[in-house]
Amino acid sequence: MTEGTEVTGVTGVTHAQTAGTTTATAAGTTAGAGPGARAGGSPASRLGAERLSLGYADRLVVDSLDLDIPDGEVTVLVGPNACGKSTTLRALGRLLAPRGGAVRLDGRELASVPTKEVARTVGLLPQSPVAPEAITVADLVSRGRQPHQRWWQQWSEEDERAVTEAMARTDVTALADRPVDELSGGQRQRVWIAMALAQDTALLLLDEPTTFLDIAHQVEVLDLVRELNHDRGRTVVMVLHDLNQAARYADHLVAMKDGRIVARGRPGDIVTADLVREVFGLHSVVVPDPVTGSPLVVPGAPWQADDSHGPASGSGSGSGSGSGDSLRKATT
Amino acid sequence: MNRPSLPTAPERSAEAPPATGGRPVPSGRGVRPTGHTLLRVGTASFLVHRRSAAVAGALTLLLAVACVASLCWGRNVVPPGEVLKVVFGAPSDHEFTVGTLRLPRLATGLLVGAALGVAGGLIQTVARNPLASPDIIGVTHGAAAVTVAAMTYGLVSADVMPYVSIAGGLLAGGLVYLLAWRGGMHAARFVLIGIGCALALRAVTQLLLTKGDSVAAQQAVVWMTGSLNGRGWDQAVPLAWALLVLLPLVLWAARAQRTATLDDATATALGVRIGRLRLGLAGTGILLAALATGAAGPVDFVALLAPQVARRLTRGARIPLLSAGLLGALIVVVGDMLARMLLYPTELPVGVLTAAIGAPYLIWLIARGRTGGKA
Repeated sequence: MTEGTEVTGVTGVTHAQTAGTTTATAAGTTAGAGPGARAGGSPASRLGAERLSLGYADRLVVDSLDLDIPDGEVTVLVGPNACGKSTTLRALGRLLAPRGGAVRLDGRELASVPTKEVARTVGLLPQSPVAPEAITVADLVSRGRQPHQRWWQQWSEEDERAVTEAMARTDVTALADRPVDELSGGQRQRVWIAMALAQDTALLLLDEPTTFLDIAHQVEVLDLVRELNHDRGRTVVMVLHDLNQAARYADHLVAMKDGRIVARGRPGDIVTADLVREVFGLHSVVVPDPVTGSPLVVPGAPWQADDSHGPASGSGSGSGSGSGDSLRKATT
Repeated sequence: MNRPSLPTAPERSAEAPPATGGRPVPSGRGVRPTGHTLLRVGTASFLVHRRSAAVAGALTLLLAVACVASLCWGRNVVPPGEVLKVVFGAPSDHEFTVGTLRLPRLATGLLVGAALGVAGGLIQTVARNPLASPDIIGVTHGAAAVTVAAMTYGLVSADVMPYVSIAGGLLAGGLVYLLAWRGGMHAARFVLIGIGCALALRAVTQLLLTKGDSVAAQQAVVWMTGSLNGRGWDQAVPLAWALLVLLPLVLWAARAQRTATLDDATATALGVRIGRLRLGLAGTGILLAALATGAAGPVDFVALLAPQVARRLTRGARIPLLSAGLLGALIVVVGDMLARMLLYPTELPVGVLTAAIGAPYLIWLIARGRTGGKA
């Protein structure tokens, strides 16, 4: 299952991306960095995992996982709770040492690269970061420049440019001198993202960046991620809870279950009712998203006293793997 | 907020500042850390927190005044002019009173206070807790237990006693850190284990005092309150050298401290080896506290008080180590001056006075609740 899907996912589609954001990305990317640069061949990858095993204490969470993060694309890891997606992301960001196998960055084993050097290439926003008490927004975002600074070079022109730009992009410039403690959840999350942006890395890992945000702020954060990926060809890896958001915003979707990869590829190619049932154990219907055309997972009918949800789930699995094709037809 | 109706729309919300709108800022002044001034020297650049610099300047002035006052005031009041003559090596009739009796005692007090202030700031940073300090987490209790043991059993001669105290403090601090380490340093665990060790060590000290020879126990009790009485150049000079050797470590700590209050994951993501960093900061703090305790015995509350007051004065996002050191020195110098003169001719140990000022402050700090917050 895993191998088969990967083949269709990566080589089967060159630029058959669907409408909306994805197409805009591919078309708008200028020379060099974006996904357009590698259309046809298998995508280049600076960051990846080889036979990676991860665990906490006596529990093995991820077992022998192989994963390449395609450069210049947005990769989203999805899966049910405790499937190892966050754990995998943490390992990619060297927050967790592998039990076995390795994470590779630019062909080197991540553990052997000096951590400060890694921090100039890979930025990471953890799931629930804690701000030092009474720190202001500008101070916190400035901490993102840490890997670029030395004790005798505490603030360069480059630092100022990166911090100013990161704050402008996340719309937190007006909050610069406010204490982070006093901000709302949405503002705070934007500040943390600004800090990760100020780090100015080619790769950016985000662990559930939309948790605790209302839907408007969720969309705002995800749009920002898309925009960053589009404007700078920045490689993004995110863990998201919401499968539909993942399908909307991912170029490359990785579905995980029980510490293994079940499927990966373009959302339009891999998100089917079968996959949803296999990964989440949920009956659903997959239809094209009315706005973007990306696959939209609609769960089977809610529980009712009569037997009405049977047929709904039946038709969902009936559409099966064909839903990706019907979806593309529907939108082109 | 004016939000686009479709998520695919590339425009961001309209509240972005006019100059930016998601684009790089072309020119002009960008965003800098709040309240900092940038100093450029060639390729080097330094960020100076303006309020911290002002507070440090004011504290230096106050400290200078307190030092002169301390040299003037005593059984014989010496005019400031004469004091300055002695300090700067000019001949004076007060050479003995000021130069031999008061100056070395003042120097010891200055150094002990500064070391305790910085030590407290470092321990509070690592513990992320304003109530953590070397006297709470067991360093001074370790020094006390070992010293009292050595005194009551007459194990070592008086001139090596300070080194015994230092060793005791380092042992206790190291033990607490080791016990609290479990694949990483958890701030709350560090404080709790520290308090546990402090209590156990205090029990050992009490036991030794009860069981031991009563004359020696009397001396030990005096030592335990922390006193600068009779401290001369013999204490001041080695302490000054030790602190001078530690100075590069303290300068490193002052810079490294910036990232120590971030959570582990964020710090690691920024390329900081947070485990090593905290060990370095805590180790420096424990060393400083042990040295100060070796020179003057356990002077209570200075290490707890100085960093927290300094932080409130500078209103920064972290404990200002320079101001904490200056304030520590100020508290000990003023405390010792009052200890000498309040009940003259009876001399109080400076530890009694710093505790008398410190205890109400501690209560106020806790009562004020949230604003005290994490260190």
